[in-house]
Amino acid sequence: MKSKLIGLYLAAVSVAVADPAFFESKIRPVLATKCYACHSSKMKAPMGELRLDTKAGLLQGGVNGAVVVAGKPEESRLFQALSYQDTHLQMPPSGKLPDAVIADFREWIASGATDPRVDTKTVTVAAYKGMSIEEGRKWWAFQPLRKKLSGENGIDGFVRAGLARSGLKPSPPADARTLVKRVYVDLVGFKPSYEEVERFAAKPTEEAYRQLVDELLASQHYGERWGRHWMDVARFGEDNPTNEATNPGFAYAWRYRDWIIEAMNKDVPYDRFVKLQLAADLMEGTAREDLRALGYLGAAPVYHKDLRLSEQVIGGFLADDLDERVDAVSRGLLGMTVACARCHDHKFDPIPTKDYYGLAGIFASTARSERPLFEVDAATEKRYVWLRNRLFDLHYLIKLLTDQPTTVTGAAERVEKWKVELEALKQEALSYQERYPKLTESLEKYWKFSKDEAEEKAGKAPNAPNAVPIWYRSNASAEPFMNVVYEAAQVVDGSDAQVTMIHYKPGEARDFPVLRAGNYASPGEMTPRHFPRVLAQGEAEFKQGSGRLELAERIFTDAAALAARVIVNRVWGWHFGRPLVATASDFGVQGEKPTHPELLDYLASELIAHGWSLKWLHREILLSATYQQSSKPRPEGMKADAGNALIWRMNARRMEVEAYRDTLLRVSGRLDRRMYGKPEELQAATNLRRTVYGRVSRGRMNTLLKTYDFPDPMQTAGGRELTISPLQQLFVMNSEFLHGAAEALAGSVKAEETPQAAVRLLFRKVLSRDPTPVEMDRALSLLNGGTMEQLAQVLLATNEEIFWP
Amino acid sequence: MNQGLRRRAMLGKMFGGLGTTALAGMLAAEQARASGRYSGPKMPGKAKHVIALWLTGGPSQVDMFDPKPALVKYQGQRPGTVDLRTERQTGGLLPSPFEFKKRGQSGMEVSEIIPQLATVADELCVIRSMYSFNPTHTPALSLWHTGTVLLNRPSIGAWVSYGLGTENENLPAFVALAAGDNGGGLGGSATRAGFLPAEHQGTSFDSGQTEPEKMIPDLRNQRLDAASQRRQLDAVQAMNREFSQSFGGDDFLEGRIQSMESAFRLQSAATDAFDIRKEPAAIRAEYGENNSGNSCLLARRLVERGVRYVHVALGGWDDHKDLFANYAKNCPAMDQAAAALVRDLKRRGLLDETIVTWGGEFGRTPVSESGTGRDHNPYGYTMWAAGGGFKGGLTYGATDEFGFKAVENRVSVHDLHATLLHALGMDHTHLTHRYAGRDFRLTDVFGTVVKDLLVS
Repeated sequence: MKSKLIGLYLAAVSVAVADPAFFESKIRPVLATKCYACHSSKMKAPMGELRLDTKAGLLQGGVNGAVVVAGKPEESRLFQALSYQDTHLQMPPSGKLPDAVIADFREWIASGATDPRVDTKTVTVAAYKGMSIEEGRKWWAFQPLRKKLSGENGIDGFVRAGLARSGLKPSPPADARTLVKRVYVDLVGFKPSYEEVERFAAKPTEEAYRQLVDELLASQHYGERWGRHWMDVARFGEDNPTNEATNPGFAYAWRYRDWIIEAMNKDVPYDRFVKLQLAADLMEGTAREDLRALGYLGAAPVYHKDLRLSEQVIGGFLADDLDERVDAVSRGLLGMTVACARCHDHKFDPIPTKDYYGLAGIFASTARSERPLFEVDAATEKRYVWLRNRLFDLHYLIKLLTDQPTTVTGAAERVEKWKVELEALKQEALSYQERYPKLTESLEKYWKFSKDEAEEKAGKAPNAPNAVPIWYRSNASAEPFMNVVYEAAQVVDGSDAQVTMIHYKPGEARDFPVLRAGNYASPGEMTPRHFPRVLAQGEAEFKQGSGRLELAERIFTDAAALAARVIVNRVWGWHFGRPLVATASDFGVQGEKPTHPELLDYLASELIAHGWSLKWLHREILLSATYQQSSKPRPEGMKADAGNALIWRMNARRMEVEAYRDTLLRVSGRLDRRMYGKPEELQAATNLRRTVYGRVSRGRMNTLLKTYDFPDPMQTAGGRELTISPLQQLFVMNSEFLHGAAEALAGSVKAEETPQAAVRLLFRKVLSRDPTPVEMDRALSLLNGGTMEQLAQVLLATNEEIFWP
Repeated sequence: MNQGLRRRAMLGKMFGGLGTTALAGMLAAEQARASGRYSGPKMPGKAKHVIALWLTGGPSQVDMFDPKPALVKYQGQRPGTVDLRTERQTGGLLPSPFEFKKRGQSGMEVSEIIPQLATVADELCVIRSMYSFNPTHTPALSLWHTGTVLLNRPSIGAWVSYGLGTENENLPAFVALAAGDNGGGLGGSATRAGFLPAEHQGTSFDSGQTEPEKMIPDLRNQRLDAASQRRQLDAVQAMNREFSQSFGGDDFLEGRIQSMESAFRLQSAATDAFDIRKEPAAIRAEYGENNSGNSCLLARRLVERGVRYVHVALGGWDDHKDLFANYAKNCPAMDQAAAALVRDLKRRGLLDETIVTWGGEFGRTPVSESGTGRDHNPYGYTMWAAGGGFKGGLTYGATDEFGFKAVENRVSVHDLHATLLHALGMDHTHLTHRYAGRDFRLTDVFGTVVKDLLVS
């Protein structure tokens, strides 16, 4: 093959390159034998939408744009692909063509890429085409909130109107005992005690219900429950999937969790709640403790970057980091799947690729660091966040080239140079000593080079089976610091062929180029940082720094309607077990449409009118008759609307893992109510605290959480899918956690004088009710030969216990 | 029992669980579970199971399946063609000390360091021209396991489970076996369900243990014997039935009653499936009574019982130094176990419907690192597949003269994924799941089925 092609080359050497004959003899045969198999107009879906068998197709290019730039071979993707320079762009995939053939293509393109072919038929190339911005503004989710609404009487009016259209009636109110249990689980995340149930059941008036709701909303436990809901959206986690040298766990992520719980309890208005998480550092008059909110970005998942890799690879990882932020923000806060537009314009929604990179640039201008929890003068602190990053990198690089024998050429020289810089920065860090000893102390680890950690990591797994490997161990710290972000452009520097650097340029911002097909090695047009155009009212571009604060603000000005719809829908879903828009993180064309569009708009408008108060929204929902309906199935409802889209009843479901575990702890009298603080491993036998304080590892999720459908903390969760699996039942039947609860319960009824009294007390403790006569008989017969502990486990294992009707 | 209830009861028995949020979609869920969600054109492939033998770290192609005499000739030198950037700096060419011989009727060349695999050479479809895109472990592992370096996408096992469903409602469809709990080959990407329903997540077991009770958390009740536990469960179920009666028919309540029963049965069913001590001594010996042998034998037992995809972590192969000495120590157990698995499946008539794959996230450089080791090499490396419609005795593709870069009939990770799905009867462009606004695939927008690797 090789010799044949070279022969061909020699034979035709006299043909001038601009001559059509050159194309016919040199170029076309290669295209035909090497390319058409995948890139032909005869195919329904040619690879990369590229059709090389027609002139029009060649001119059109593929998904990544033009493949030939006449006169400029180096800029032509066709030539780049053939020359095999880039690992991600190599054609044909079967192997590099002979150099002589590649040289032909270079010449052909350099001389103008003459293509003498005459296309016999018009080739219609279906370009990617989503919705235009203008069309997009008409899409329901992007429209302003409706002003004139047909429903009266708030929630119930809208729901009843929908039911009436289908000839359905709402269900009767739930009985008092069911209702009080429902509201407890909903607002504070565990079932009420027997006394709490009976207190309400004794006088279940409307006023008493209102009081109960207010009381629970005022409870500190409300924040623990609803903070956890938000943590699903914020993809809260305390480490990274790999926790390698450059992406260790986030020692202070727990402070972000604590901030969320506090903010929920204080009913910080939702708009401010979100703005603080995106840009607390840039907002006027932010209290220092509110900087903890920046954990939303500061403890977001990051990829390991081994700086011995090439600029392209490191840049690719950086782009993946940015992608994570774009996705979390756009789906989590706006219900928009902007990340779909990373490689091409969104295929359905009005989101051009430029809008994606317009957001990516914000996060490319935002660096992660740590900040002290205590007050520090502005100049020092500004320097500190950068200093920490630089020291971290220098420490990492020096270890990288000295820990193991390295063959990086000139390693010793590089290390020397870095050590000089490290020494200078160390002196700077030491100069803080007098005023801020904690600052200096926090940096000391970067000029100490101990081998222990590296050795343990590289060494064998710990001897004890099931011991947690070091890279998944918690590095949570109670030192007075926070995981935050600050304004700094991140720039990948590939000027050194052997060690790629990432520079943090404090106070600087950078735009990001469109990456063709999402490929870092294939940058296109620079994209100014801007708000997605379909949402922007007026000029979209950001002017201040990274644009992070402007992004946060414009979500609640330009996109307020959408942002309000998205959070109302989520809150509705958490209360009802089913949101009005089933795809809570996708309000686009591919998502579901709202079952009650007017209700959604009504609540969104009212939420804004009530200062974005989520507690207002809870009250509005909980006080509705719709919420207080019975959840029992009715034949006519099941027949007409088994999925309950019309809300003819309350949805019954099982409790989420947190509420179930917390309830088991509470009913067995073992719940440790201490709030806040460093996380503990959930599997630790001594950990009897609420589940929200258990460590959330992205690298190694706790088995109980995994078994009970805890969402992947690598991405913002649109909701939880609650499954039933035998592994869950094995936990209920056999785990030490259940045995422990049963044992504690058995002990707590030991003092009762008769078995009957003990059984009754056990029922009250676990199920918050008295046993029926049949149940009493059954319990007594189980005790005949069995133990109180076994009986306690029976009650803990029942459907009634985990059910949330 | 009416049809709906019977279906529900059956659904409830399923191991992996089912969503209760989409109750209206119960029937769809049932079908998904029983027959999988794949709805594209039926491909000719007839394979039903996969056992993926996973050599984390990246085994060396030039020491096992890809002989390169030129390495001897140019020993210690560094010709221009080997100047490829890998993770670390490398030196001159390092020839393999192991002798290659032609094996079996196919005459496949196999190294003496893996003599047992050499005896089943005629079953192996060896691909010498694999290539990947990333020279570091985590992204490269993720690329193989999920088709992308992003650490949030579903793994191939989850896709297969999602596409084909389960054959045994009492066992998970996707199992991952690794000895110890050190993350060896079981980083998150190996078992992740990502955005696929949670039931498709790989369930991992510590195959360093041989007692099922120690492999599966909470499998045994430490305080009660079976009879007492049954008595206790009867009391639970009596209360559950009464509760259902007072509440009214509910899929969750019904499903959990059934799930309790299947958990009760699972205690003994899993005890049986996971207990390799029930195998005859001769079989135990054939596989080798060590972590590798035990894991491969357990994989066979699981596949026999209908598990779709078994990921088997076979030790660490990241030999940056002392590679030859390490291979002398580490190859025998892997070699014996992998060969025994292929042989045993064949003997039992299971090899036709079971694909065994073998390989790591990349290969190793023909040039030396630190004199006695080899660096990561994503440019060209070897993987093999056996059974399930793959051509036995085939040596496919080629690397350059030193074994650094795949140059002939190159096969990317996505190509092999596409081919594996094809062999399982699925078109990789049609095995999709809609999430966050678009249809995702294991092969993303890449992958070409390499038909030359398949019998039909």
